[in-house]
Amino acid sequence: MSSSPDETALLLDISGLHYRYAGAQADALADLDLTVREGEFVAVVGANGSGKSTLARLLGGLEKPAAARRALACGHDLLGEDGRMAVRRDVGVLFQNPENQLVAQCVEDDVAFGLENLAWPAADIGRRVDEMLAHFGLEELRRREPHLLSGGQKQRTALAGVIAIPRRILVLDEPTAMLDPAGRDEVLIAVRELRGEGLAIVYITQEMDETVGADRVVALERGTEAYAGDAGGLFADTALVRRLGLGLPAAGELALALAEQGRDLPGLPLTMDELLDALGAAT
Amino acid sequence: MKATIAQYYAGDSLLHRLDPRAKFVAVSALAVALFVRDSFAGLAVYAAAAVVAYALSGVPFAWFWRAFRPLLWLVALTFVAQVVFAPGAPFFSLWFIHVSWRGLELATYLSLRLVVLVLVGSVLTLTTPSIALTDGLAWLGRPLRRLRVPTDELALMVTIALRFIPTLFVELDTIMRAQRARGADFRRGGLRERTRSLVPVLVPLFVLSFRRADELALAMEARCYRPGAVRTRLHPLRASRADAALLVVTAAVIAAGLLV
Amino acid sequence: MSGPEAIAGAAPDTPRAPGAAGMSLACGDVSFSYEEARAPIPALRDVSFELRAGGSLALMGASGSGKSTLLQVIRGLDAPESGAVLLDGAGPADTLYAALQREVGLVFQAPELQLFASTARDDVAFGPRRLGWPEAQVTAAVNTALDVVGLPPARFAERHPYALSGGEQRRLALAGVLAMGPRLLLLDEPFVSLDPGTRRQLVGILERLKAAGVTLLLATHDVDLAWALCDELLVLGEGRVVAAGPWDFSTAGDRLLAANRLRDPFFVELWRRLGRDPQRAPRTAAEAAEALS
Repeated sequence: MSSSPDETALLLDISGLHYRYAGAQADALADLDLTVREGEFVAVVGANGSGKSTLARLLGGLEKPAAARRALACGHDLLGEDGRMAVRRDVGVLFQNPENQLVAQCVEDDVAFGLENLAWPAADIGRRVDEMLAHFGLEELRRREPHLLSGGQKQRTALAGVIAIPRRILVLDEPTAMLDPAGRDEVLIAVRELRGEGLAIVYITQEMDETVGADRVVALERGTEAYAGDAGGLFADTALVRRLGLGLPAAGELALALAEQGRDLPGLPLTMDELLDALGAAT
Repeated sequence: MKATIAQYYAGDSLLHRLDPRAKFVAVSALAVALFVRDSFAGLAVYAAAAVVAYALSGVPFAWFWRAFRPLLWLVALTFVAQVVFAPGAPFFSLWFIHVSWRGLELATYLSLRLVVLVLVGSVLTLTTPSIALTDGLAWLGRPLRRLRVPTDELALMVTIALRFIPTLFVELDTIMRAQRARGADFRRGGLRERTRSLVPVLVPLFVLSFRRADELALAMEARCYRPGAVRTRLHPLRASRADAALLVVTAAVIAAGLLV
Repeated sequence: MSGPEAIAGAAPDTPRAPGAAGMSLACGDVSFSYEEARAPIPALRDVSFELRAGGSLALMGASGSGKSTLLQVIRGLDAPESGAVLLDGAGPADTLYAALQREVGLVFQAPELQLFASTARDDVAFGPRRLGWPEAQVTAAVNTALDVVGLPPARFAERHPYALSGGEQRRLALAGVLAMGPRLLLLDEPFVSLDPGTRRQLVGILERLKAAGVTLLLATHDVDLAWALCDELLVLGEGRVVAAGPWDFSTAGDRLLAANRLRDPFFVELWRRLGRDPQRAPRTAAEAAEALS
């Protein structure tokens, strides 16, 4: 018996989510809906102030929502204290600043931190840490101190530490924003691999080229949803993309510039090849 | 600029493999014993024991010397202070400085005792990584929990603080350089001006640290950290017969030092 | 007097070549090592290059290649162990050298990490006050600098720096350096972790400074932004100069960037693929759109 899409487990089932920071003039998140199923790669895009980071913290059970019609993450209710504590076990969150996620004095100890918090037996921790170090190419850095790591190495260590706790879904909040191109590549490859292994991922970013290949894209604007659907639909609406203030790769910028000159290309190319195709098709 | 507060020297010697709790107890007991009785002979016993432990640890002398050298001034100061202010009939006087044989003897003893104290303490810090040491201290301090002292949380705080010290040094250096590029001069003027010139350095460092604390707490909670909850360790402390042997040997050394 | 023109050369007492707003820079066999516990670490080895007054140079290279070190040596925070940094042709022995060094602005990576005052105005005024300028001149310089970076004084001067957004903080930190009237502006990775909107604003600010004649030296790993802003290129590899001079995409200079783990700028590659001369590729999307229409 094959399962229809609706029967695939719903990992995130959020409806009408509200959040406002104390003393703020406006909602950080207003009436937001979000659903994510097993194995899905959902990109969440939005400019600064659109509510992306707030969403990441709420999804990880790290903040209490102000209100929601429904806020279920891996079956736990985010509105309840117990639910939020349980969510921290199932939902992994990786943050932007690699430096401020590493707690221990060497890579190995940091990767073990989460499992120590869950009171795993030492032997099991050791095995899992070995697995993670191998998976993320950190074996040679096992005893290295954090301040001697490059940005990409730090972020991979942090990711290994997050995933060391077996997760059902991973939320990444602009994980490459503070990295140089080499570091960015390291992290993107690691994330791609995790996706390939079937882990559901919510990938939050301001850079459109990091959304390539996403199953779905959700665009946030001032705390509400400005678009939700497949990537192609968003890319076709160049006016919306411009309004959202997102970072476009050079190909996309050129397409927008051409549109301003009255020469619309079919769709929004993100790579050189797509651009050449679009130019070829247009002439 | 590299800062090494914990002078730990990685190795696999017998001393490295001993339990930090046993080492701490042994070193503390020896330190107390040093002060119980004034005797050059006793001092020699303890010094010999420390040197033997040192030899067993495999730590190169150069490494030890680097950590010890800054303390030489303290030893010298102790020596001079004792010579100048000790009681006894002087054989040499200059102004208010009276040097007596008794004074010289006292000064020598006190200075040597300080050296032996540092030597004994160093054996601990050179062979024990700070995380193991804080774990050991947290365990030894367990009884304090009954007095509501959060020993495990304190131990974690110390570990995290130590982890960020090198990072903070780099950030401090960067901030100072950036302000220098805007014309700040940290070496000019009297005490008051110099203190004021530190504001553009300390304020950013504080802000950075507070922001860091916020983000780090969030990242820790995201990895299921809960203060007060029971935590296991990747490298748990495991006492062995060798540790019992260490305590026995230490007791013997202390006895020898007190009786000799 | 306002705008970028006022920024370039606002220092009142430094003689300079008449009509030249920017400062010229030349490095002759500059070497520098970091003192480390065991052995000195060579960070720069015999670095030589020239940058004419009003020119713009992109400094590129892998992490650890010596870019930040070079910028700090040029500014004078560290003295080279051999070789010399010539500012407007003057060397360290020249009596004017210290004054010239004060006309070199250095913007560190993530400069918002150095904000410390309680108002934007006071933070920006720090540098000019250190230079000993009269208060009226400081005020003028601060207001001009805030205008140039897009933080109009009327709205921003009394705000607390930490109450500003990340992008505003970065621009405020830049204003703090610009208020000192630099004729040579050194920037260390100014675009890192900037959101796209602020990135665009910063490019605009730098273009206006360039137009006002300020000499620009930009260390960046973003090849496309380097291409958009800079006429010339300096590539460092392990502290040595690997390439220096105008961008060269002829067959002689082919694959130079790739050989140093950098790629060619997007538009250069695009022009190549379209069968056009890469040497005449456009610098920005707007230029490219025009050329293609």
